[in-house]
Amino acid sequence: MALDIAAIRADFPILERKVAGGRPLVYLDNAATTQKPRQVIDTMSRFYENNNANVHRAVHTLAIEATEQYEGARDAIADWFGAKRENMVFTSGTTEAINLAAWGWARANLGEGDVVLLTEMEHHADIVPWQLLAEERGIEIRYVPINTDDGTLDMDAFDATIDEASLVCVVHTSNVLGTSNPIERIIADAHGRGRGGAGAKVLIDCAQGAPHHRIDFAALGAEFVAISGHKMCGPTGIGCLLVDSDTMAEMVPFMSGGDMIEEVHLTHSTYQKGPQKFEAGTPKIAEAIGWGAAIEWLSQFDMTEVHAHCRGLGRWTAEQIRGIDGMTVHGEHDSDAGSGVVSFLHDSLHSEDLARLMDAGGFAMRTGHHCAQPLLRAFGVTSTNRVSFYLYNTREEAVAFVEHLREVVEKFA
Amino acid sequence: MAWGTGSWPDRLQEAIEEFADVFDPMERYEMLFDWASRADVLTSEEWNEANRIHGCQSEAHIECQLDDSGGFRMRGGADAQIVQGLMAITCLAVNGLPPAEVVDFSPAFIEEMGLKASLTPSRSNGFLNMFERVRSEAARLIGNNGGIE
Repeated sequence: MALDIAAIRADFPILERKVAGGRPLVYLDNAATTQKPRQVIDTMSRFYENNNANVHRAVHTLAIEATEQYEGARDAIADWFGAKRENMVFTSGTTEAINLAAWGWARANLGEGDVVLLTEMEHHADIVPWQLLAEERGIEIRYVPINTDDGTLDMDAFDATIDEASLVCVVHTSNVLGTSNPIERIIADAHGRGRGGAGAKVLIDCAQGAPHHRIDFAALGAEFVAISGHKMCGPTGIGCLLVDSDTMAEMVPFMSGGDMIEEVHLTHSTYQKGPQKFEAGTPKIAEAIGWGAAIEWLSQFDMTEVHAHCRGLGRWTAEQIRGIDGMTVHGEHDSDAGSGVVSFLHDSLHSEDLARLMDAGGFAMRTGHHCAQPLLRAFGVTSTNRVSFYLYNTREEAVAFVEHLREVVEKFA
Repeated sequence: MAWGTGSWPDRLQEAIEEFADVFDPMERYEMLFDWASRADVLTSEEWNEANRIHGCQSEAHIECQLDDSGGFRMRGGADAQIVQGLMAITCLAVNGLPPAEVVDFSPAFIEEMGLKASLTPSRSNGFLNMFERVRSEAARLIGNNGGIE
């Protein structure tokens, strides 16, 4: 059954907004963050109005209700991602999740002689923590380059170095190009050939992948999966790191304090078992509950249809932009690897000017380096314009966007 | 003379009224592009690290000096036309004034022109960085001139 976009949009109050002198808002910056349905907003408001208390500690009514809602959200979110609750650590988002893998696992288990294999397609959040760790631990970082003609990973280069890797970190779907990578193959090769055949661990950055696909942690088999809630209709400030049990047993806390301990003495402390060991301090309670509500809302849809809808809009828009004089569209949108993200650049109209001129027409899109400077350098550019679609975007919005883009280029380029 | 809301140099007041009469944001941007094309531009050959303004998403540079009569004179260059237009209006606002008046010049004229989006304090926006640089350059020029202004 096709998505009922009108009914979906009715759940998003912000999509009724007028901007830029009364023009309807056309929100096409979903790869940065998605809008929130009324169900998420109301759930968080209800929590603060009725149940707000700290969790895990007190025995009063509100504390019990808050703990039940918070831990209930953990169950619902873990279940949605095909994981057990004991394999999910709440974080502030994908960035903190990757940092937890770097400082909680890699710092204690990797050192000189170990190779961490990244790709040129990675977000800065999946590059900089490894660079910092390399400075401290002497690990070697290598990169799988990209094919700039179609925006895919150079899998020949991957094949050439995977045998030496101890850890492979790869983005599920690029936030710049929209390319979805061959994750299953990468995981299989890392496990089968990595570390000279002994097997490398794998971290998948699913910040962009999780909003468009059902991520099944158990079926994927990666040791680490990092996810953000706010790119899939949840609130900002909440995400998770999914970690398999054997790997979690090898991790040490990189943040410490309250809530993660069993006992604290003046000379030493003992820690909780499982995810709580890595969740120091008062957690993001309302945010976790809000993310749970977002997943409950999303669960009414077939994610295959959600992806097909976004990809269809992306493919059509990329094709139209390619037809505008002076425009270059980066990445390949006709192949199966495409998604709802389209990055483009005009040869004379500056990306910032273009973004402002589109904003003046009511169109919200991103401009800049998208926290992926190495990837943009591979294309020989320092910034692009980017539109990214989600399930509430319509074909009419895409058509209006392209029409306004044509007018802007004709008038200002 | 303290320049701010309700008290602008005449030439700037005219420009403010010209912009404020336009309600369509696209038209305002057309006007900014027009200003950019008329600007006394610091050409890209003159750009260097010393005159670069950090914090701008576009490449932006300014040079400031005193003219023959001791008045402030800035020239700016940017690869984005909207930034170039904002620089042109800034030149209109401050050039020819005593540097001491530039130091205290309010950037509120941009808001009065309906270009408030350019004042958003985000990393993608450099107008305030640029204007702050203009004011600090004016302060530097006062110092170089023995503080006689």
